Amino acid sequence: MTDMGRQIFHGILLAALLLAATGVHAATGGAAIKADNIKGEPFSDAQTIGTLAPGDKVEIIKKDGGWFQIKSVKGAGWVRMLSIRRGDAQKASAGGEVAGLLGLASGRAGTGQVVATTGVRGLNEEELKSAKFNGKELNLAKSFLTSKQDAQAFAAKGKLVPQQVEYLPEPATVQSSGKGDGSW
Amino acid sequence: MVTRMRTPLACCLSLMLCAGAAHAFDLGQMLNAAGQQVQKPQQQGQQPSSAADLLKSGIDMVTGMAGCSEPEEAAIGQQIAGNLLGASPLVKDRQLQKYVNNVGRWVASQSERPDLEWHFGVIESNDINAFAAPGGYIFVTRGLYRLLQNEADLAGVLGHEIGHVIRKHHLKILQQSKMVDFGGKLLAAKAGGGNSSVQGLIGSGAEIVSRSLDKGAEFEADRIAMVLAARAGYDAFALPEVLQQIGHVGGADSSVALLFKTHPHPDERLAKLGEAVDSRFDSLKGQTLAGRFYHIK
Repeated sequence: MTDMGRQIFHGILLAALLLAATGVHAATGGAAIKADNIKGEPFSDAQTIGTLAPGDKVEIIKKDGGWFQIKSVKGAGWVRMLSIRRGDAQKASAGGEVAGLLGLASGRAGTGQVVATTGVRGLNEEELKSAKFNGKELNLAKSFLTSKQDAQAFAAKGKLVPQQVEYLPEPATVQSSGKGDGSW
Repeated sequence: MVTRMRTPLACCLSLMLCAGAAHAFDLGQMLNAAGQQVQKPQQQGQQPSSAADLLKSGIDMVTGMAGCSEPEEAAIGQQIAGNLLGASPLVKDRQLQKYVNNVGRWVASQSERPDLEWHFGVIESNDINAFAAPGGYIFVTRGLYRLLQNEADLAGVLGHEIGHVIRKHHLKILQQSKMVDFGGKLLAAKAGGGNSSVQGLIGSGAEIVSRSLDKGAEFEADRIAMVLAARAGYDAFALPEVLQQIGHVGGADSSVALLFKTHPHPDERLAKLGEAVDSRFDSLKGQTLAGRFYHIK
């Protein structure tokens, strides 16, 4: 009985540890989309453990803000998440091990098949084209209006603290996105 | 009524822009019926609220970009929103809709148009998509909402759409259509008449929301989304996480057909975000608020 209790306890502990380690998402594969350093901690000034080259495969353990904790042959540590692409297209397309996220996304979001079987309308171009104005639904939508003050209270309740953050500049490689250049 | 630096021609042009543009997130036709069947658009907050706004509208006019007055923009947005809701009604869950408005309004409050009358909603569709219409109407499909894991994810998605609204991406497309003569009619519609002219501007039904925006506009909206989420105190890297998930669904799935048709592939969007962000947000630590996230039934 004691042993069994211990076993159960260990089982629960293991499960808890696994959950804690994986966070919301199950560990998935990924690959570096550009060269970036592997850091010992999720900070830019942390010690550099190794360097990923574009295409290097990684195992994503969890996300912390802008960082992915990863394992790779180049080392284990933290890499900026935007340097990593989640998933392994080859695996997925081969019908082999489908990453947890893929299954999750399909199952939870509803695939095309789900749309077809539930009869819930999609939003394809034809349907949008033939859409008729629905004033009743519009009024309903308007009834859920949240004032600026209420939004502030809602944020405070969640302990959200406003930050000063500048807009991001357009990367040099991208052409103008409509800054009055007449391209629109 | 504040005097605006705008000629009727410019007004018309701007209206045209508004109406024609629809990308997956705009609403175009709703204006029509809006004037007759819907509560009057509130006038409050529709006038330029500051000298800066006034100046900006003047600049927009001169540069030929989106010089709509706010009432005009609201009328166009209302028409598009009403049409979109005609295709896909709201999910009948008051708590959900209120929650989405709370999060959305807080994120929008971090933008340069905090006083716009922002409306958010979740609509009945298993497609994975979201839509924005001029004037601050933003809708997320049930399919997309179900992909979200936490409140920061929602903030990121709404932030992208808010980006389209504050930069008037759809208004600009309407303008591009050069249907100058629609302007006067729109003004008449705004005064309470029918909105058939507005409908004419935006094409058939809500088709404008299925039109693509310039890729640059999508990348810009992604950048804005990360910044607004960060300003609001959320994890700025939630939107990239959602994009990673959408990328997993795969282009062959019909639930993302329209989204993929009208937007750059998620991989490309992530790469562009990576270039823009680089190390700038390394020290940001926002919240995800997974515990408070409202799970759709």
